[in-house]
Amino acid sequence: MLTEKMEEYLEALFKLSCDEGTLTPTRLSEYLGVTPPTVLDMLRRMESEGLVRYANVGAGKSGRGRGEGRARRAISLTTKGQRAARTLVRRHRLSERFLTDVLGLDWESAHREACKLEHVLSPEVEEKLAEMLGNPETCPHGYPIPDENGQIRDDEEIKPLCDFCADEKGCIDRVEEEEPQLLQYLASLGLMPDVDVEVKEVAPFGGPLLVKIGDTQYALGREVASKIYTRKGPGQKRHGKRRMGGGRKR
Amino acid sequence: MKPERLEQLDKIRERAEYVFALAGNPNVGKSTIFNRITGMGVMTANYPGMTVELNLGMTELDGRKIGVVDLPGTYALGAVSEDQLVARRGVLQGRPDVVIVILDANNLARNLYLLLQFLDLGCPVVAALNLVDQADKAGLHTDVEMLAEFLGVPVVPTVGVRGDNLDELMHQALDLARRREEYFTMPFSYATDIESRVRKLARRLEGKLEEKPYGISHRALAILLLEDDEEFQRALLEEEAGEELASYSRKIAEEIEKEHGEKAALIIARERHGIAGSIASNVQERREYDRPRPGERMWEYTTSFKTGIPILLVVMGLLFLAIFWGGGALAELFADFWESVIGGPLNSGIESVLGVNMFSRSLGWAVDGLGAVLEIALPYLVVFYLILGFMEDTGYLNSVAFLTDRFMHRLGLHGRAVIPLISAVGCNVPAVMGTRVLSTRRERVIACALIVLVPCSARVAVIMGGVARFVGWWQALLLFAVIFAVVIAAGLLLNKIIPGESAGLVMEMFPFRTPSVLNVLKKTWLRLKDFFLVAAPLIVLGSFLLGLLYESGWILELTGPLEPVAEWWLGIPAVALLALIFAFLRKELALALLLVLAAQAIPGVTADSSLLDFMSKGQIFTFALVCAIYIPCVATLAVLWRELGGRDSLIITGSTVVLALLLGGLSHLILLLL
Repeated sequence: MLTEKMEEYLEALFKLSCDEGTLTPTRLSEYLGVTPPTVLDMLRRMESEGLVRYANVGAGKSGRGRGEGRARRAISLTTKGQRAARTLVRRHRLSERFLTDVLGLDWESAHREACKLEHVLSPEVEEKLAEMLGNPETCPHGYPIPDENGQIRDDEEIKPLCDFCADEKGCIDRVEEEEPQLLQYLASLGLMPDVDVEVKEVAPFGGPLLVKIGDTQYALGREVASKIYTRKGPGQKRHGKRRMGGGRKR
Repeated sequence: MKPERLEQLDKIRERAEYVFALAGNPNVGKSTIFNRITGMGVMTANYPGMTVELNLGMTELDGRKIGVVDLPGTYALGAVSEDQLVARRGVLQGRPDVVIVILDANNLARNLYLLLQFLDLGCPVVAALNLVDQADKAGLHTDVEMLAEFLGVPVVPTVGVRGDNLDELMHQALDLARRREEYFTMPFSYATDIESRVRKLARRLEGKLEEKPYGISHRALAILLLEDDEEFQRALLEEEAGEELASYSRKIAEEIEKEHGEKAALIIARERHGIAGSIASNVQERREYDRPRPGERMWEYTTSFKTGIPILLVVMGLLFLAIFWGGGALAELFADFWESVIGGPLNSGIESVLGVNMFSRSLGWAVDGLGAVLEIALPYLVVFYLILGFMEDTGYLNSVAFLTDRFMHRLGLHGRAVIPLISAVGCNVPAVMGTRVLSTRRERVIACALIVLVPCSARVAVIMGGVARFVGWWQALLLFAVIFAVVIAAGLLLNKIIPGESAGLVMEMFPFRTPSVLNVLKKTWLRLKDFFLVAAPLIVLGSFLLGLLYESGWILELTGPLEPVAEWWLGIPAVALLALIFAFLRKELALALLLVLAAQAIPGVTADSSLLDFMSKGQIFTFALVCAIYIPCVATLAVLWRELGGRDSLIITGSTVVLALLLGGLSHLILLLL
C-alpha cells in the first residue's frame, strides 16, 4: 500500500531522475529537506514495496576498493515505481491546470494545493478533469503532463536504441516483452532495463549498432535494437532548455 | 545435440574416475585450456561460438583418470540458443563432479553471471580467473583471495595460452571432487523478498516431490521454475504432484511480477547481475584509467564504416589473390612431388605386383584420386586456412560479421553467418559444419544452401584450369560474377520463401589480439586433418569404383542416354556431361575425366589433347558453370545430411541440379544467340 509520504518520495525521485540521472540519498534529502537517516529509512520501506532499487549501479565499470563501495550506492525507480510516479505527476499537473485556469489561483498556491490534491484524486476524477480541461499537454509551469498511460507525450527521450546516434549514451528503459526468449537472452548478457548503454558506432543503411555496456561491446542487429527502448542517458537533461529548480518547490 | 556425443560422454564417465566440465563465456580461452589439459586439439579463435559441441578428452592427475568435457561458450544456461542448450545438456546429463568455470579477468562482472548460475544449480565449482596477463596490462588488478571468499569457491588465476597455474587449477578441482561432501553453502543470497519466495517454493518442492529432475537441488529447481524454464516446467508436470506444484510456482512468480512490475525471470537475472557487479567492483581495482587495450585503435578502424568497408574490400581482394597465386604455386610443387615421389612409384608398384589388368588399373585410379586431393584441393586449402586462421585469431572476422550484417540480413542470415560462408571458399565440408554457430534452423538451412553454391577450392581449380586457361581470364571472372550473383539471388529467394524471420544479430565484440603463429599453424593442420578424414576416403573409394566402370568400358554405354540433355539442352558433348556426373565424387575430377573420356569416345582426341580440340570456348564455359553450381561433392552431401537431415539436404541437392541445368541451358541459349 502506498502511503502519502511514499508518493511524495516517488514524485521527488521521478523529477530528480528526469533532471539529474543518478540519484543518491544525500541529493534526495537535500531536495526534500529531511535528514538522511529519514530518507534511508523510507527508501528501505519503499524497496520492500518494490518501488525503488537501492543498490550498486554501474558496478564493475571502474572497480574500487572495499571502503569506497558505499559511495556508489544509488537509487532508481523500478518499473512499478515509475508507473506510480507518472500517475502522481499527471494528477499533480492536471490539478495545477485546474487550479490556475479554472479557479484562478496564482502559480505558487496552485502548486501547494496540487501537492495535496494529487494524493486523493481517483482515476475517475482524474479522467473527467483531463476531459474538462481539454487534455492539456503541459502544466502551468510548462512541464509536460503524462497521458493516461503514464507516457509523456512528445516523448523524445524514450526511443528505440536503433534511433540513437553514434556516441550517444542512454539507459535501457524496457525491452519489448512479446519475445520472452530474446528478453531472457539479452538479460543474461546484462542488456536489461536500467542498464547504461553507450552507442559507439551505427552502421549506415540499417546496419547493426556497436553498443558498449560496462566493459563489453556488443554488435546488435537493427531489428534487435528496435526492441530495446532506451531513454537518453543519465547526466543528460531530458529537456535542454528547462531545468527544474532545486528545493522542494513545485 | 547429437545423441552419439552424449553416449561418448557416458563412456568417458565409465572410464574416468572423475569428470570435470569446463564452462565459461565465449572467447575466454576455454578451448585453449582444454587443449592444454588434455593435450588434444580443439580449434580456437578470437570470436564467440567457436565450440558449439561438447569436446571430450581424458587426462591423468596424481594417477587418477579424469574425463574433461569442454562445454560451448555461453553467457547463461538457459534454453535460448544452441550453444546454451548444448552446455546445459552437458551439465545436466553429464553430471560432472566439478564444473571449472573460466572467467575473463577483463570482464569479471559479466563473466560471474554464469558462475552464479552454476552455484544456483548446486554444482561444485572451481573458478579459473583467466587472461590475468591481459588484465594486468590493462591495469586491472583482481584480489583473488577476496573473490574466492565472496564466491565461496576456490579461485585460481591462470594464463591459458602459457599454461600458467593450470596444474594448480586441476588440483583444486580434484580436491573438491575428492571431498565430494554435500557441498552446499550458498555464499550469497538474493534480495530478501526474492530469496524468501525461492525458499518457500523450495520447501514446498521438498515436501511434495518424490524425485528431482536431473537430481538438482530443490533450491535450484525452485529458481529454474521461477525463471519460467520450459524444460523443468515440463519435467515437473511428469511428477506426481506436478500440476499442483506448477501452479504454486506460477503463483509465486506472479507475486514477484506484481510486486516488481517485471517478470520473475528478469528480476532473478537482475539480481544475479547485481551480485556479480558488486562482487566485481569490490575485488577489482583499475590502476590506470582509459588506456586503450592494445589493438583497440586498429580495431576501431575496422568496425567504423568509412574505413572498415575499404579495409574489408582490400582484405578480401588480397585473400583471393593469395589463394589463386599462392595456391597455384603450391599446386605445381605438390604435383611434381606427388608424381615423382609417391604416385608414380605407387602405380608402378601396383602394376608390378598385380600385373596390368582391369583391377590394377582401377587401383591406379584410386591412387590418382588421392593424388588429386594433394595436388589440387590441398594447396588452395593450405593457403586459405592459414589466412583464415590468422583472421580468426586477430579477431578480424568479428569486424567482418559486424560490417556485413546488414547485407546478410537481406539473405535471411545475420553477420555471424559470414564466417562459414567465407570458409566455404576453402572447402564446403567444414563450412557446413560451421553453420552450427547459427541459432535457428531456418538460418542454418539458408546458410547451408548458400554454402554449397560457393565455389570451393576444387571448383575454383576447374574454373581456373578450364575457363581461365583455355578461354580467358575475363571469362573466368565473368563466371565467378555469375556464381556470386546466383548465391545472392538464392539467398534473397530463400529469405522470401522459407517461413519465419531471420534472427537478429547479438554478438559480443572482442578487440584485436595478437595472433599466435603456433596456434594458426595448429589450426590449419586440424582443419586439413578434418578435410582428409571426411573427404579423402570417399574420394579414394569413389575413384576406384569409377576406375572399374571406366576400365571395364561400361562407362561409355552411359553416353547414349545423356545425349539429348547434353547436346540439345546444354550444347556440350555427351562425354562432358558424363564427366560432370562423375565429378560428383570430387569436383576437380571434372576436367581430368573429361579429357580421359573424350579420348575414348571422340576419334582423334588423345589424353594429351587440349580441351579446345573437341570443345568450343563457349562449351567450356557452360561446362564449368554447370560444374560449379550442381550438387556439391559426395563429401559435402554426407555432411549436409548429418547436419540437416535427409529431407532438407536432398531438397538442397536437387535444387542445385535443377539450377545448374537451367543456368547451363541459359548459357547455351545466349551463346547460340551470340
